[in-house]
Amino acid sequence: MTDKDFDLSRRSFIDRVLMATAGAGMAAAVPWASAAVGAAPLAKSDRVRLGVIGTGDRGRALIQNIAKTRNCTVAAICDNFELHLAKGRALVDPSTRTFTDHRAMLDAGGLDAVVIATPLDLHKQHSFDAFDAGLHVWCEKAMARTIDDCGAMVKRSQDSGKVLQIGHQRMFKPTYLNAVKRAKEGEIGAITQIRASWHRQSSWRRPVPAGATDRQINWRLYRDSSAGLMTELATHQIQVSNLFFDAVPTRVMGSGSICFWKDGREVYDHVALIYEYAGGRKMIYTSLLNNARYGCEEQIQGSKGTIEPELGRIYQELPPKELALLRMQADVASGHKRAVPIGGATWFAELPVTTPGEPLGWGEYDETMLQFEGFGEAVRTGKPLPGLLSQAYSASVASLLGEQAMDSGQILNWPTSLVAI
Amino acid sequence: MADVVRFASMGTRVELHRFGAGADDALAAAQRAIEAVDDALTIHRPSATTALNERLMAGRGSAIDDALLFDALVTIEDLHASTLGLFDPAADRRFASAGWSAIAFDRNSARIEASMPVALDFGGFGKGFALDRACAVLRAKGVVSACLSAGESSIAVVGEHPLGGGWPFSIPHPLRPDEILVELELIDESVSISSTVGAGTAAPERAAMIRPIDATIVSAPRCSVAVDRLGAHAEAMSTALLVADEAQAECLLHGDRTRRFLFDFPRGAAIPINQPG
Repeated sequence: MTDKDFDLSRRSFIDRVLMATAGAGMAAAVPWASAAVGAAPLAKSDRVRLGVIGTGDRGRALIQNIAKTRNCTVAAICDNFELHLAKGRALVDPSTRTFTDHRAMLDAGGLDAVVIATPLDLHKQHSFDAFDAGLHVWCEKAMARTIDDCGAMVKRSQDSGKVLQIGHQRMFKPTYLNAVKRAKEGEIGAITQIRASWHRQSSWRRPVPAGATDRQINWRLYRDSSAGLMTELATHQIQVSNLFFDAVPTRVMGSGSICFWKDGREVYDHVALIYEYAGGRKMIYTSLLNNARYGCEEQIQGSKGTIEPELGRIYQELPPKELALLRMQADVASGHKRAVPIGGATWFAELPVTTPGEPLGWGEYDETMLQFEGFGEAVRTGKPLPGLLSQAYSASVASLLGEQAMDSGQILNWPTSLVAI
Repeated sequence: MADVVRFASMGTRVELHRFGAGADDALAAAQRAIEAVDDALTIHRPSATTALNERLMAGRGSAIDDALLFDALVTIEDLHASTLGLFDPAADRRFASAGWSAIAFDRNSARIEASMPVALDFGGFGKGFALDRACAVLRAKGVVSACLSAGESSIAVVGEHPLGGGWPFSIPHPLRPDEILVELELIDESVSISSTVGAGTAAPERAAMIRPIDATIVSAPRCSVAVDRLGAHAEAMSTALLVADEAQAECLLHGDRTRRFLFDFPRGAAIPINQPG
């Protein structure tokens, strides 16, 4: 892609976000999106200087997205595993400082903020250290390993007066924003259920290179460092659910098991949960690792239609079939005689409707880039993107509450002692 | 006065619409008549038919004690003969059933024997047979105008339309619902529609349409319509037409070209088979 092509597609992407966020009620529903789009471009010498902690697969993807922004730059990278650090080094300017200890990177100065892409159980300490160093924090989802630690991160951000932003790229994706807009405009009626899944055909276990330990590489599979599917996958989709329901769950119930990959892992490879929302609304969630047919999707089900944002489709409910004999009765009552159409079997299973629906509007670009431009603007102004941390906090809490519900076999109510944002 | 009852029976939704005169309990009695046929002929729960099938599949003969089943077998034997053997409720690949030709049915002794394993599935015939019974009950109860439906592919009417004249029906193209294949007016008649395409033909557990001659499945897109004084006869004829080859179809249609219709749908278009004009 040439620079000109990139500029055009970037402009198109931004336009789409602006169009999606321009509808009635959208400013209140997704206030962070328009704020991010309004980020001022900065001269290279003035860009927000980011230190990236963790240059594994995700950290390197973030580095590449930061490079696309017009207001941020990677000023330092850090990883305690040399192989990952070397791969990260290959993506940045040769003059970029590299560290094997995040504290050394913080002590070296020259940063405005850090980007944390480390195992979940390290998020809290890394963000605390950054706040203590007077820096803003962008942290990968989920927020932290426990609900208390999530709250502590929010509190530390508030106390330090520094921005805490959590990575949830769907909140910046035009397709999702447009889906919210169309739902707000009533196209699918009252939303009463969201059925979400993230199904993969994968052990989720990565090969361990020389010099690393299994716990370092496969930290997602062990309980002290991860809640597995809940914090790595479900948290994204719970956030989508909260967004469309415009609420947080009231309670959650669920079942989890290590059902297929009995390879010494500690986290569930099958989870099934029901999140209840006020008014009897529900989000039904499943995630598993040995069948990918239904993949990743949120089916947002309303009285008039359904939205499937990952497929980018919106479907209208079919009008009920007019029953010919019922019409005949009405005709006779009104003294009207006309042919009764017959010939269809009237008894058939209520199979899934396979109508193709319509495109939801607006495909892919790079929402991760946009969330960093928003973060850069937040750092520059010292004001967090409105509404975003609340969304992320609720999603992380919900994912961890779901883990507790599965572990305990209990129905758990939404916590009442969360930090106010 | 107009009233209606709707209920599930014969594996489908049944509707009985009565207009004008007749006893108050006419529809209820007609419903009971249909349910009695279902009880006797169903193969989806224990019945006189499933008991018979078990014996026939085991190669054993059986006395026919159930009066409804006996009447059905008498009618089927007649219809098997009058449709060139094309209507055959004993030709069912699901059960590896040999077909009616393997059956010896003695009406006088009410016994049935089979030279090879066979099993009966009355299917559409059962619906027409049940509607015939219900029509008879309605007439006996003084009803002069009624429309009965066992799924919309099996219709029977009693008397004239409540506004006078025949009951008007149209048969839509099964692949192009906005197009009409046939328009009919019925008085004291039944109509049966059989099709290999269109609504409901892909329903789970729906038995494939079989050619009794060679036990092959009719897979070509085709639709047949038959009208008769009796629903059981209309069902047998529409089934026979659906599985008929060209010569057989000509023979069957020759009986009444204004009450029997056959359409093929190459590339979706409706081609009437051996129709006038």
